[in-house]
Amino acid sequence: MATEEEIAVKEPLDLIRLSLDERIYVKLRSDRELRGKLHAYDQHLNMILGDMEEVVTSVEIDDETYEEIVRTTRRTIPYLFVRGDGVILVSPPLRTV
Amino acid sequence: MSTGGEKGSTGGGGEKGSGGGSSVKTPADFLKSIRGCPVVVKLNSGVDYRGILACLDGYMNIAMEQTEEYVNGQLKNKYGDAFIRGNNVLYISTSKRTLAEGA
Repeated sequence: MATEEEIAVKEPLDLIRLSLDERIYVKLRSDRELRGKLHAYDQHLNMILGDMEEVVTSVEIDDETYEEIVRTTRRTIPYLFVRGDGVILVSPPLRTV
Repeated sequence: MSTGGEKGSTGGGGEKGSGGGSSVKTPADFLKSIRGCPVVVKLNSGVDYRGILACLDGYMNIAMEQTEEYVNGQLKNKYGDAFIRGNNVLYISTSKRTLAEGA
């Protein structure tokens, strides 16, 4: 058996490190999305984001017409600590909308 | 014993009769063997992500390329790179998705 040097050639966290000081898109639980500049992160995906915008999406269903009303609430926060257990996905922001 | 595979593997103590090309012994071996393959990642929330697996670790944190997000079977988003936190992952499955792009 070869030595266990090849276990983690690249970890996903190493690739997140490439996004440090770049703007990123973060998907959180509870239908929340963040876009901001990644200042720091750790193995739990706790993150420090700067110049950040949060978008909260809620869908309401009208009782009578059964229409889906999609509402988004936005707020901007200059500096924020995000707890990692709420993070679902991290990605560079979508360039082409 | 129905192996059901294309290769007539004689078996030799294979606990799992998986239809993969390579002999997979443990989940860790499977994770090592699928890097670079197109995969389907399903999250606990039911959202589907299809893309090419770049790498992953023992926590099932995933890094993927050319990722597409499917909600209720509908394509919702496309990401060039995506990192998915492992605790959200329900399963990782290989898919025989034909790559449309590429030379």
